Amino acid sequence: MSNFVGKRMIRNEDPRLLTGQALFVDDVQIPGMLHAAFLRSDYPHARIRSIDTSAAARHPGVAAVFTAQDMGSFWQPGPLLVPAPHSIEGLIFNKRTQIPMAKDKVRHQGEAMAVVIAESRYVAEDALVDIVVDLEPLEAVTDLERALAPGSPLVHDDLPSNLASFVRQRKGDYEAARQQADLVISRRLVIDRGVAGALENRGVVAAWDPKQAQMTIWATTQAPIGFRNIVAAALGLSEHQVRVIAPFLGGGFGPKIMLSQPEEVLLTWATKKLGRPIKWIEDRQENFLATTQERSQIHDVEIAVTGDGRVLGLKDVFIHDTGAYNPYALTVPLNTQTHTMGPYEIPNFHTEYTVVFTNKMIVTPVRGAGRPQGVFVMERMLDAAARELKIDPVEIRRRNLIPAGAFPKAQGIIGQDFTELVYDSGNYPATLEKAVTMIGYDRFVREEQPRLRATGRSVGIGVVCFTESTGVGPYEGARITVEASGDVSLATGIGTQGQGHFTSFAQLVAEQLGVDPRRVHVVTGDTSQFHWGAGTFASRGATVAGNAINGAAGRVRAKILKLASQVLDTPEPELELVDGCVRVADIPEKFIGLGELAVLANPMRGAVKTGTEPGLEATDYFGPPFGATASGTVAMIVEVDTETMMVEIKRYVIAHDCGTVINPLIVDGQIHGGVALGIGNAYYEKLAYDESGQLLSGTLTDYLMPRATDVPRIEIGHLSTPSPLNPLGTKGVGEAGAIPTPSCFVQAVENALAGRKIEILELPLSPNRLYELLHEGQEA
Amino acid sequence: MRIEGEHIFHGPRQEVWALIRDPDALAKALPGTETLNKLSENKYEGTMNVRIGPINGSFAGKVIIADEVPPESCSLTAEGKGPQGFARGAGHIQLIDQGDGSTLLKYDGDLQIGGRLASVGQRSLDTVSKSMIRQGLESLNGALQVRVTAQATGKEVTYVPPTEAKFAAAVVKDMAGEMLSSTQAVWARLAIVAALALLIGFLLGRMSRRGERR
Amino acid sequence: MSDLVKIAVAVNGARHECSVEPRLLLVDFLRHELGLTGTHVGCEHGVCGTCTILFDGEPMRSCLIFAVQANGHEIRTVEGLGTIENLHPLQQAFWEAHAAQCGFCTPGMLMTLVPFVENQAHPPEEEIREALAGNLCRCTGYQHIVDAVKLAAQRLHQSEAPLGDGEVQP
Repeated sequence: MSNFVGKRMIRNEDPRLLTGQALFVDDVQIPGMLHAAFLRSDYPHARIRSIDTSAAARHPGVAAVFTAQDMGSFWQPGPLLVPAPHSIEGLIFNKRTQIPMAKDKVRHQGEAMAVVIAESRYVAEDALVDIVVDLEPLEAVTDLERALAPGSPLVHDDLPSNLASFVRQRKGDYEAARQQADLVISRRLVIDRGVAGALENRGVVAAWDPKQAQMTIWATTQAPIGFRNIVAAALGLSEHQVRVIAPFLGGGFGPKIMLSQPEEVLLTWATKKLGRPIKWIEDRQENFLATTQERSQIHDVEIAVTGDGRVLGLKDVFIHDTGAYNPYALTVPLNTQTHTMGPYEIPNFHTEYTVVFTNKMIVTPVRGAGRPQGVFVMERMLDAAARELKIDPVEIRRRNLIPAGAFPKAQGIIGQDFTELVYDSGNYPATLEKAVTMIGYDRFVREEQPRLRATGRSVGIGVVCFTESTGVGPYEGARITVEASGDVSLATGIGTQGQGHFTSFAQLVAEQLGVDPRRVHVVTGDTSQFHWGAGTFASRGATVAGNAINGAAGRVRAKILKLASQVLDTPEPELELVDGCVRVADIPEKFIGLGELAVLANPMRGAVKTGTEPGLEATDYFGPPFGATASGTVAMIVEVDTETMMVEIKRYVIAHDCGTVINPLIVDGQIHGGVALGIGNAYYEKLAYDESGQLLSGTLTDYLMPRATDVPRIEIGHLSTPSPLNPLGTKGVGEAGAIPTPSCFVQAVENALAGRKIEILELPLSPNRLYELLHEGQEA
Repeated sequence: MRIEGEHIFHGPRQEVWALIRDPDALAKALPGTETLNKLSENKYEGTMNVRIGPINGSFAGKVIIADEVPPESCSLTAEGKGPQGFARGAGHIQLIDQGDGSTLLKYDGDLQIGGRLASVGQRSLDTVSKSMIRQGLESLNGALQVRVTAQATGKEVTYVPPTEAKFAAAVVKDMAGEMLSSTQAVWARLAIVAALALLIGFLLGRMSRRGERR
Repeated sequence: MSDLVKIAVAVNGARHECSVEPRLLLVDFLRHELGLTGTHVGCEHGVCGTCTILFDGEPMRSCLIFAVQANGHEIRTVEGLGTIENLHPLQQAFWEAHAAQCGFCTPGMLMTLVPFVENQAHPPEEEIREALAGNLCRCTGYQHIVDAVKLAAQRLHQSEAPLGDGEVQP
């Protein structure tokens, strides 16, 4: 029976956010602060013949202009941010990390070539125009398949080709399975890029104080500790001389997890050199060009099934676009591999991918992080099989789902945390049935759909099942302290970008210590308060940091009980923690406030027993053996207007299992947000590049993010199979909505247009593209 | 992007050809041209101040003429670079005698745009480039007529091209015209023109944040 | 460097006299000259709506207005809507309905919605979504924002007391 875990508590952090009193990076103002603006390449691939910054440097109000040459020995390729999965046999990995600024060559449109530091951003941008750059345009590598053709231009001249990586993983024996199949279907699936599109663009304020020999950095980072370590190493400082603060962030969604961004590291060098604080805030156009993005892959898939729709095996050979560099190694395509099998029993699975360098911005995780692509592959192949075998799409899924009692289930494929993918718990059939019931599938297919179709309306339904790896290691930590006031402070290393950590974490502490969650003050993302941890990514905050917090709270609770037992002269089992006090059960008048106890635990004079730790404080760490697998089923009813090609989502249902829920209000919000992004990835958002690598959709009028009128009301059904991997039983949920939505959208639209016999094998779709597909289909 | 079109010049073909091959005349006739030099018989280079709304951008470029068949046709390749991006084009020009003292100029080619012009200005590029070409040819036609008259009367006459401001306004008007049918009320068109000018100005103004040129 | 222009602007009821460059955006004026950092910058081309403020009572994008254009006008920003101790009913409703996640789009959302909720007691869902359509949110999927608007509109027009125990009924 819990008091706070599972409660729909409204958030601690909201009053500040709602009144404009929360600090975001661009709100930081320091006397003497200068402003940076970057000169970015218009060409996707070019040799830099010369850069003349002299006129810019003379521009009134300009403090300095730097190019790669000016950085001297500080200029070097950044560190590999995520290691490659060396445990995978036969791995090929050609590491090419990002550089602070382009030196001899520009490798993507938007790559920085020079930086102007001036009194204001306005003046800095004025001076950018005075920089004279002589570029020799080179042919750009943009097509994923042509990138590996002999004679292709090379993104990295010191490599023999544009091959960045090759990974092959096998489970069972697909070739043998194929021989047994009644039906083998193959398809080519193409998925294109989109952006994270956080409303707040990236930014950093770096301030070097020479007297204290201290570097303070405010950054829009999801990984403040990793960033701190990289800066310290790069500048030759001790880690304790560098403080990174990730204040309130206006959305993360992945690109802000880059432990170091080129602009950020460069400006820490610049502030030290100039002796003045420097601020850089990205504008939206730079965000489209030079903030990491994701999704581009081409899959050649084959599925082998029996006559009654059971999958014997799947083979997926794909090309993955990493862009101009690969500092984040293989997280995205590894996730694609581990999410293709999904909640289905796939006894034989051959998955391999080739990663190519292209002259585009680099690819790193964006909410979903490669998982949506894996789900798209499996769901489209199941739909193709269902169509050919004339089996209902829900029925074919039922026949292939891993049954409820099968856990833990090892899947024989290595994932982004370099361990074997093992499903910890779940009940996939129940999740499917819940969604199917909530949307009224049978009634829709048997009655409503035929009735509406008879009146000429194109309505369709889609049902898609998915798994979602969350809560991956390595670890996170937390420190909890009861203060003299009776309030409790909690510090943890991860940062917050809107997930409600200030509330859900307080609930965890409150549960163990019996305090009002409003009196738990949470600090996240400040390396001076807590400096061990990996960051907020992969839907792991609540699970990994949450369990560290739970552990630390348990230790503080033990200390409280031990001390209180002495003070109240009562055995521990008779004590309870309620309302910020320790009191004797059945004798409520006999109590001591936690604050008072905390003061007693920290004497300013006298002697203490050997081995005593001061205060009521504890630190704990948590690292799971592997990630917890959340899961769900999405069902959607859509109507397509065959004249305007607009698609209205009439109903959206998701049955979701993320184990133990700490705050259902926050979980719902996370699902809603993910769904909206998924709808964007399905039908509105496309980062369009032309053949020469020029970005064509560089504004929000061209790159369409869903608005309130594009997102339906989302109906959520919760299930819970607690994870055995952590004491709380939690699993992550942050990416849940984004992962299955595009696949379900496509299935539903195809179903709506069933009479037209089109098959949608690409993402994103758009009204224009749907029109083309419809008319191609008619001509065929 | 593909561009093609035609324009009537009020003068004989020989004069049109001479005008096109006269860099000084071109420099004077095209609004915003700051310099235009002949590097060799077939190669020009120059700088042009391109203005759309309150945006000033100086483009440095080169034009190379080839396959000349005077006074009938030639092909040309052009390249321009500025703070807002770059443009590269290759095209073909044909001059056809209309028999009534006027000349039809036909042009066709491919234009490649890059940089901010491409990523921010995507939706206006087609209309704007066509409009700028048309305005430019209009102005050349004006210069041609003045030249022809001067020759006929024996008097020196100087051609005054439209100001950059007028040129820019005309481009915006063209954009508005494309968006509205001719049956719309005049006041609606003017309102749209004003709003568009403002929108383009802000849109492109935000890109460069430049105020007065120093 | 162009000459500075003297302007007088009323912001949240307080009059400010400053000398600014003609090209200074209103949003930069508010954030950096006046230190009112509650209004945020998302795109600088008038699409995302995070910079929305009330200009003489009308929601407008402050990234598309120059500070000099605000001379003689009244601006209201999120700082003038309510305080932590005294939230506007719309802010209170946002809190209870979990309508803010990262909070970056929130001030712009609030300022867009203030005139809307003040004029409508029971806005239908479709109309609320239309009213919100000029403000992008990447975190919430809009649903809880819509719920918050319904709650606020209801309360503003019926003077109901808000729930006080920190829990919201689903």
